[in-house]
Amino acid sequence: MRLAAFLLRRLLGLVGVLLGMSVLIFGIIHILPGNVAYAILGEFATPAAVAQLEAKLGLNDPLPMQYWRWLSALLQGDFGTSIVMSRPAASLIAEALGRSAVLAALAFGLVAMGGIGLGLYGATHRGRLADKLLTLLQFVLIAVPEFFWAILAVLIFAAWLNLLPATGYAPLSDGVLAWGSHLLLPVLVLASGLVAHVARLTRSSTIEVLDSRYVLTARARGLGERRVLWRHALPNALLPAITVLAIDAGLLIGGIVVVETVFAYPGLGRLLVYAIERHDLPLLQVGMMVVTAIYAVANFIAELLYAVLNPRIRVAGAAA
Amino acid sequence: MPDAAMSDVVVDGNVLRVEALSVAYPSRDGWLHAVDGVSLSIAPGTVLGLVGESGSGKSTVVLALLGLLGSSARLRAERLEFDGHDLLREAAALRGRRIGVVFQDSAATLNPALTVGTQVVEPMRVHLGTKRALAWQRGIELLAEMGIPRPAEIMRSYPHQLSGGMKQRVGIAAALASEPDLLLLDEPTTALDVTIEAQILSLLDRLRTMRLEGGRRLAMLLVSHNLGIVDRLCDSVSVLYAGRLVESGTTANVLQRPLHPYSKGLLAALPRVDRQHAGRLAPIPGRLPDLWAPDPGCNFRPRCAFASAGCEQPQRVTGDHHKVRCHRADTIVDIPWPIERATAAAQPRSAVPLVEAADLSIRFDSGGWLQRLLGESAGILAVDRVSLTIHSGEVLGLVGESGCGKSTLGRLLLRLLPALDGTLSFAAEPVRAKPDARFRRQAQVVFQNSDTSLNPRQTVGEILGRAIRWFAIANVEAEVMVEVGRLLDLVRLPRSYARRYPHQLSGGEKQRVGIARALAPRPRFVVCDEAVSALDVSVQAAVLNLLRDLRDQLGVAYLFISHDIGVIAHIADRIAVMYRGTIVEEGLADDVLRPPYHPYTELLLSSVPLIGRQRDTDPPPAARPPAAGGCKFADRCRFRLGPLCDSVPPPLQAAGPGHRIRCHIPLPQLAGQPHWLDRGETT
Repeated sequence: MRLAAFLLRRLLGLVGVLLGMSVLIFGIIHILPGNVAYAILGEFATPAAVAQLEAKLGLNDPLPMQYWRWLSALLQGDFGTSIVMSRPAASLIAEALGRSAVLAALAFGLVAMGGIGLGLYGATHRGRLADKLLTLLQFVLIAVPEFFWAILAVLIFAAWLNLLPATGYAPLSDGVLAWGSHLLLPVLVLASGLVAHVARLTRSSTIEVLDSRYVLTARARGLGERRVLWRHALPNALLPAITVLAIDAGLLIGGIVVVETVFAYPGLGRLLVYAIERHDLPLLQVGMMVVTAIYAVANFIAELLYAVLNPRIRVAGAAA
Repeated sequence: MPDAAMSDVVVDGNVLRVEALSVAYPSRDGWLHAVDGVSLSIAPGTVLGLVGESGSGKSTVVLALLGLLGSSARLRAERLEFDGHDLLREAAALRGRRIGVVFQDSAATLNPALTVGTQVVEPMRVHLGTKRALAWQRGIELLAEMGIPRPAEIMRSYPHQLSGGMKQRVGIAAALASEPDLLLLDEPTTALDVTIEAQILSLLDRLRTMRLEGGRRLAMLLVSHNLGIVDRLCDSVSVLYAGRLVESGTTANVLQRPLHPYSKGLLAALPRVDRQHAGRLAPIPGRLPDLWAPDPGCNFRPRCAFASAGCEQPQRVTGDHHKVRCHRADTIVDIPWPIERATAAAQPRSAVPLVEAADLSIRFDSGGWLQRLLGESAGILAVDRVSLTIHSGEVLGLVGESGCGKSTLGRLLLRLLPALDGTLSFAAEPVRAKPDARFRRQAQVVFQNSDTSLNPRQTVGEILGRAIRWFAIANVEAEVMVEVGRLLDLVRLPRSYARRYPHQLSGGEKQRVGIARALAPRPRFVVCDEAVSALDVSVQAAVLNLLRDLRDQLGVAYLFISHDIGVIAHIADRIAVMYRGTIVEEGLADDVLRPPYHPYTELLLSSVPLIGRQRDTDPPPAARPPAAGGCKFADRCRFRLGPLCDSVPPPLQAAGPGHRIRCHIPLPQLAGQPHWLDRGETT
């Protein structure tokens, strides 16, 4: 019952966020100079032609009415048409999203596993040389932006060692090796900063938990160090890491735009950049909406996961 | 040099033998000698109390026995033996298996992410290799033995779902799960309400007589700062001061006829409900000695009222069964610790009430916006139509268990929280919901935790100066400094302290700064919210005396909020007893502390562990939610009349001048109750 109420509340919140964002995205795009009519007709169009097209597309209607038209179409599955490529935005986004999802999922997996693993290692080897070196490395990874690592990786592995392709994408049908070799560098670069971020946080929350009184009590009950770490410390230490992973899912999307551009990887990030450059407003609008939805859903999942791991949220109320 | 002679009361068959245990921690300023040559021994089936204030090293002893001091600590002992095993080498294999431990504050010692059952069953699974189903069954039995209702259901619950007392019972159950021979109890009832404490104590008392498998009997080491608890449970007592044992012997000897000056001082500093109120307490002046460079002589010397030549020499332990480390023990045997004399005469109290509250209420809403929208949230009436008056120069003591709303009431009287209902007047003028600066200046507050209520980045002078400027008592720098000096004089701190930062002060000194800050605008009314609760007994006595002197000198009125009825009985002129948001009894201190009293007052008073009183009545636990409309205490009341108590709000009965009791039970019957001091022996 309580879990159902919790779910309902979060779902309502999710819908609210998406609606709010749709207004914001629509608003921002209408503040941008130029409009769809200009974009379609090109820069040499006569004002008369532009006015005619504007009237035809309903661009002279009041903004709320335009918004409502866009939103109701969106809800009915009509994502509009890309002006520049003259293709339905839905299929363009679906293709790009699929490729980006692979990239993001691999990077996110690496962030979660690597970050938590390195954080635990640091916490249990606190103050030793390995911990200090890892700390240094993590700070470097956090401080230096992704595009630097991207360029460096391309220079070393593609241009100099000639081990991996510098840019591009190969579908899985070209073979796992080709597919993987195109993915390896983008994934590593995308994950680099976030791995360090999650590792730092996991390390400090694990240290805090290891110093807690319930861990002292577990040790006083004669439990082995391994059991103390995995069974008593970990479930509590991971809670903050999960919150941060959800935030990082958002950062990951930002990172994807950079990484896809540098590695010429045909994903959603690159599609968005393309839409901005070409003033492809319908495509941009829907693309941004999709990104927002992904972020909101990631947060929703994180909250659910948090509730599952934290009994203080999952089961409330008094038993005695 | 430590003496091995300090050990064994019982010569043979001791389950624990510690001789000359020393522990030092490395720090920036060199080795910190936390424990210095301590010797102890415990026989099976007996309980040893280890008494000391904060910094005495008592918890370090516990960690040393468990081998959990950490790798940086330096541990030395001539002997550290448990049942023939050397704990220096084998502690890791014995802890949790044959030595169980219960730490202070069960809220922090139970893992919030694991069910109660998991934590109780784990020691059995790990140490005894018990099969899962069997261990679970045994866990249910164990919880039932600990007096936990519905044990099977509790096994599946999480710690946050349990009350404080239940959590501590679970902690004890988990410690006993592997059937240890020795149970270490580190402040097991600290932070629990006095009625819950009484329940845990009778549980521990029962364990003492319990026999383990094979006829073994459980030995216990009780570490506590509370002498009443030690007296209730322990066969023998060792008193620890700044890492050294100063006295040990049977409980009766040490607590009734203390030999060491420190033990005498501790007992004299203790505010006790059973002692004549209005007397002054005897604080121990000064603070804990430097543990970095231990005094080769007596380390209590700088604070000792009996210090003389010879104290600078290393002290030998004398006596057979009642051992003491003091060369003057024989000469001062009948001299009590001296009591400070009062500084000023009491001011006459005015007849007009200073603070007058009528029907003050506040409701705390629970649940989120969705529940509120659906109308599901009921909220809790934290303070339920409370009326009270406080006169100038009067101390009204407000006592009750945690969560009864006493702090909330204090904040309502200061208008720090918006009241849902009711009126408040100050000096015969109504106080508005958003009071003006004049009221703020006249009504101040002292909080419990001076660690968090003093800004760590400001000096004492800045902290006080800010309050002085804020209330425009003085504005010119020189005048402010004069005022700061006056305030420091008032709270008996050296004027040089104006340049110190809070972290350079001891707990008692910090609380004095808190009091000085409250006094800065020269208030007429101060709310002391658990103002001495975090202090050690010897320091608490000094702060209580100070507060009393300030009342006499300045005519300030206090609302003194405390969960400790001993402290309240000591300082208050009148006492109000609060239960679940309602004042159930109010009257002059002497009237409230003897019959007729409200059944809840009686429960509070008889739950206090007192030195020299044996009690084994188990107060009934809060079993069901209070019935709506009736007496809120009906579900816990030993004298409940019947459905009347459940359904009809109890009337306010006048038991004497200014003495009111909110109860259905007729006054003659309430008056006929035995005095709480006599109750224990008969039941």
